[in-house]
Amino acid sequence: MAEEVKKAPRPVDPNSAKYKLGKIAGDAYVNAIEAKKQGKPVAWVSSNFPVEIPETLGIATVYPENQAAGIAARGAGERMCDVAEAEGYSNDICAYARVSLAYAKLKECPEQDVAMPDVLLCCNNICNCMIKWYENLAQELNIPMIILDIPFNPDYEVSQAFIDYVGAQFWDAVHQLEEIFNIKWDDKKFEEVTGFSCRSSKAWLAATGEAHWTPSPFNGFDLLNHMAVMVTARGKAEAAEAMETLLKEYKENHEKGVSTFREEEKYRIMFEGIACWPYLRATSKGLKSRGINMVTTIYADAFGFDYSSFDEMIAAYCSVPNAINLEKARDKRVKLCKDDNVEGLLVHTNRSCKLWSGFMPEMSRQIGEACGIPVASFDGDQADPRNFSEAQYDTRVQGLMEIMESNK
Amino acid sequence: MTSEIMKTFHEVAADPRAQMDKYIAEGKKIVLTAPVYTPEEIIHSMGFVPMGAWGADTELDRAKEYCPAFLCSIVQSILELGITGKYNGASAIVIPSLCDTLKTLGENWKYAVKNIPFIAMTYPQNRKPDFGIKFTRAGYERVIRDLEAAGGKFDNASLAASNKIYNEHNAAMRKLDEVLAAHPEVSAAERSDVFKSAFFMLKEEHTALVNKLIEELEGSDAVTGKTPVLVSGILTDAPALNEIFDELRFHIVADDVAAQSRQYRTDVPAGDDALTALAEKFAAMDNCSVLYNQEKPRVDWIVETAKAREAKGVVIVMTKFCDPEEFDYVMIKKACEKAGIPVTQVEIDRQMTHFEQVRTNLETFKDLLSM
Repeated sequence: MAEEVKKAPRPVDPNSAKYKLGKIAGDAYVNAIEAKKQGKPVAWVSSNFPVEIPETLGIATVYPENQAAGIAARGAGERMCDVAEAEGYSNDICAYARVSLAYAKLKECPEQDVAMPDVLLCCNNICNCMIKWYENLAQELNIPMIILDIPFNPDYEVSQAFIDYVGAQFWDAVHQLEEIFNIKWDDKKFEEVTGFSCRSSKAWLAATGEAHWTPSPFNGFDLLNHMAVMVTARGKAEAAEAMETLLKEYKENHEKGVSTFREEEKYRIMFEGIACWPYLRATSKGLKSRGINMVTTIYADAFGFDYSSFDEMIAAYCSVPNAINLEKARDKRVKLCKDDNVEGLLVHTNRSCKLWSGFMPEMSRQIGEACGIPVASFDGDQADPRNFSEAQYDTRVQGLMEIMESNK
Repeated sequence: MTSEIMKTFHEVAADPRAQMDKYIAEGKKIVLTAPVYTPEEIIHSMGFVPMGAWGADTELDRAKEYCPAFLCSIVQSILELGITGKYNGASAIVIPSLCDTLKTLGENWKYAVKNIPFIAMTYPQNRKPDFGIKFTRAGYERVIRDLEAAGGKFDNASLAASNKIYNEHNAAMRKLDEVLAAHPEVSAAERSDVFKSAFFMLKEEHTALVNKLIEELEGSDAVTGKTPVLVSGILTDAPALNEIFDELRFHIVADDVAAQSRQYRTDVPAGDDALTALAEKFAAMDNCSVLYNQEKPRVDWIVETAKAREAKGVVIVMTKFCDPEEFDYVMIKKACEKAGIPVTQVEIDRQMTHFEQVRTNLETFKDLLSM
């Protein structure tokens, strides 16, 4: 029997954004492991915690959400969830949390090892589930937890009360970290970090905004990979540079009439929700095989941490997707759909995320109506493979495509 | 036990709509209060009757237009009752955003139940430092503005008076909880009625009845022979659940139930500014799955209370899809096991019609505790 001939992976140009972004994401894990070896502090950090704090203080960071996504994408989501469930965690709980709590117990997972933390930096602007997850990590690992509480904002604008409360917590978190690790805040470094964070954000917004071209110069699934850098490293010089390279490439793609979406772009959709990491290939293929390009997601807007003052920075952290009311969340998506000439909305009803999915039926109805586009949803999960059915996904995508076709 | 007071508690608990209609007929305005904590004192002080909206044991139909299946049934049933007109006549609903599902309830409510205005209460989790107290106060001010739009009037003196009424009610409920621990003849169903009825009566009226009940109980002899347990969870008012507790002769000697004793543990402190004092009350609150505390003192509270009340075991009544409770469960289980206190978990939800799994679980638990 002939051996299967595997295609050699296409070499990646070290000057490309893909290479640079991949290296930054990979280096973040390596750097934290190295810092740990050298006895330097390591923090586990929730994805929308102000990176300006650990970056300025020189604390190495690990993002458990990214780690869980990586583990799930590499096929170990269920195995890790099983470990957490054996401890008593319900399978109703967010699968990222289950993976992370399992890792805290095992302290190893070949699919994505990380440095163990000395402190937990928790911000709940993404969900309150984060608080419970980190409370339990703090107990299990017997390490301090610092919370930067950003409540869900029921109003369209960010009030002064929010700014004052979150701003006070920012400095309180800084002072706690200074005390715990005997380190000093440096205003000059802070200024530098905020500069890089804004540069990265500007470039990210501009790069994702290139989707307004038809055909789009990129496959939206690229964003799911690249956003890891926006989560973990947006306050670093190399992240700003890599994002600017990404923008340059997307512009060049448009000028050359090429795209990282390798099929003919017949339909353009917005994808709503966290990726189904265990089935990334299946969800991508289901679209690509039909000529459907996911040109945008709310992630395009989510990392717009571009600000010119401290209060504006705080307001930006109060305005991330899961911290805002339905009207503001809807308007952001309507703008993306309109700017990027979206023809359909595909919603991932994510079993792990009660907040993201909890008012999605009403919001997606309103988006569909405001943009005159069809909406389809499918059931899935960000990390637990047991909550996704490829057949259902395929049927829903087919249905969405047929309506988009009839609308042409 | 049977008494006229118990009968009243039962009638109120079993038919909140009748209570609502009674107050409306008296010319009073109703403001619904969603779980887990709302500033009832403010609502009361502004001339409204705060009325608990914790949903009902009902089939979900219209709520499914808004909610994915994996949201907790308490929240879904609140929405269901709102959509189907069961809360009609209420002037507003106050919904706090203390868990992710409650956040979505407020957002859905605006479109699903347009005839009852949604008032958001945004509490801080970093509630203990001064900046947290200020933020709580700002949240209360926002609620006041919305209640003024609903026809209420705010002043500091009225709030101070309401704070006092609520503190008196808290004291009565805490005393009752202690007295009930010594009176196994009061059934789980009756205990549930006393606590549940508190959500549907003006607190001054409820306090008077509770004090009478305490007096009655203190003058009677306790009946023994039941198995003492501590019950923990969000909500334990399902008649079928309480029937099982009673049939199996469990005696609830303490509870860590959000809809019961968790409501009454903390008083409003003294202070000239009644609104700041109320914010300080929230800052002092703890031992609850929706209130952040890195130390998780709730876990020790359960262990220590179970020991103090001589509970033979701990029953966790888990509301399905309640992730704050699901996270805490693991820590509670570990701590109880370490302390040598048997613990079991039963899962319930508002749509349940068959409780056989719960019965089997509790029967086995009872056998275990009897060994």
